[in-house]
Amino acid sequence: MKPQERQGQGPVPSQQALATAQGGGYGWLRRTLANRWVVAVRSFAIFAALWWLFYAWNGNPLQLPSPVVVVEAVWELLVGGELAEHALISTVRLMIALCISILLAVPLGFWMGCSPAVNSFVDPLVELLRPISGIAWLPLALFIFGVGNTLPVFIMVYVGFFPILLNTVAGVRQVDRKLLSAASTMGISRAAVLRYVLIPGALPTVMVGVRLAFAASWAAIVAAELIGSPSGLGFAIEWYRQLLMTPKVFAFILVIGVVGYLCDVGLRSLQRLLTPWSEGTGVQ
Amino acid sequence: MNKIIQTSRGLAILRACTLPFILLVVWQLWAMRQPASSPAPLPLQVVLTAFELVSKGGLVQALVQSLGRVVTGFFIALALGVVIGILMGSSRAVRESLDPIIESFRPIAPMAILPIAILWFGTGTSSALAIVSYAAFFPVLVNTVHGVSRIDRKLVLAAQTMGVPRLTVLTRVILPGALPSVLLGSRLAMGVAWTAIIAAELAVGAKSGGGGSGGIGQMMFVFYAYSINLNAIVVCMVVVGLVALLIDRIFRAAEIRLLPWRN
Repeated sequence: MKPQERQGQGPVPSQQALATAQGGGYGWLRRTLANRWVVAVRSFAIFAALWWLFYAWNGNPLQLPSPVVVVEAVWELLVGGELAEHALISTVRLMIALCISILLAVPLGFWMGCSPAVNSFVDPLVELLRPISGIAWLPLALFIFGVGNTLPVFIMVYVGFFPILLNTVAGVRQVDRKLLSAASTMGISRAAVLRYVLIPGALPTVMVGVRLAFAASWAAIVAAELIGSPSGLGFAIEWYRQLLMTPKVFAFILVIGVVGYLCDVGLRSLQRLLTPWSEGTGVQ
Repeated sequence: MNKIIQTSRGLAILRACTLPFILLVVWQLWAMRQPASSPAPLPLQVVLTAFELVSKGGLVQALVQSLGRVVTGFFIALALGVVIGILMGSSRAVRESLDPIIESFRPIAPMAILPIAILWFGTGTSSALAIVSYAAFFPVLVNTVHGVSRIDRKLVLAAQTMGVPRLTVLTRVILPGALPSVLLGSRLAMGVAWTAIIAAELAVGAKSGGGGSGGIGQMMFVFYAYSINLNAIVVCMVVVGLVALLIDRIFRAAEIRLLPWRN
């Protein structure tokens, strides 16, 4: 084994040496430049430069502030605590709405997935309501709930409900029939079948549904807060637009992106933690 | 045998109609118990309002206006998304350079850029177009990149070996190979775009004092804020749902028609 290994390793340094020789001694430089992080930083630098050029050409800081001013605005909002306040409000609303959606949609999905009769009752209603986007509910919901906390939560529960439900139903149906037959052959109680066969089998798909629901809810919360809420990130961007404080508008948009990204990363690691055995593919 | 199938089919339809019917009855009963002065929508009233809106309320006009914006915005997004997607899908350097930028814009909801769109383009059609294009761009792009990078390398190499010019490789190998993904992306994009236009028109209406953007979202806002008419709002919601369903069906039909080899 050992000599072979050595043989296998042999050519590598010589190739590196060759590359270094060809690159005139700048091989390390080339390798550093090809690094993913360096490429990302380079892209952002070019993006910021283009932004600055466009800002200089446009010459209207109310429309497009310079990137430096935006960074300053982020810092100012961060130090003042205003940023954390609005981000926290929106995130809490999002979490509450996701929990309600999960509590409503997952049991119903399991029920629909297990019983064709229930499915034939409920599915048509779901298909009837699903095309009506959550945004279209806004005026009616504004009328029912008024401006406040309930409105964004309602819209997000509605938006998040369908992806979770559809993925739960699909996940339950995907569970291997042989496992179910084996479990009932061995005389296991129905509760145990649910606990040890159905739930582990369906969980990967359910988690995909939760991630899709999160993405849809996060898009909806901005609209809901922008129109019908006195607080939150969506409200903040519109508030500062009306005050014509454009750097702060940009700062909050940046925060919406960052919080959305962080939540997705969190959900992804939750997905890996709960269902390490599967990547899972969902339905949309 | 035939009869059994028929009865089971009838049963299925009966079951399908049960819950919506119960819901309608409960709604009607609840609304009838409200005092006459309350603006609560009534199912029967909604149907009447629908006829009224179609015949003289300008519902069709608003719908056409919204659809026009969605289709225009969608084609802008399609053109940009497919071109950038093919570049990113076929060149690793381009993909690695653009990916960080794209991924950092993706979690920013289309509605979040509405305030900037208003600052740049005002409250008219161009603002709505910007939001729709932004919303539709990402599904098209991501799916195009995925489709192009999944194309069998051997086909491209074979074409190059036979001395096919690069443009022909693009039109004859890469585009047909990526078409299924592009169509899937288009269907998702169109769905997102339709949601975004409603949101944009609603918000522009809400934030500019109802001032002229038009479209079905604006119409809903006017019914909410000025002539308080919840029946009309429900009509608009149903229309929004129907259009979304129709868009989805058209794209699914196009997928079957354009990609016969997949079924």
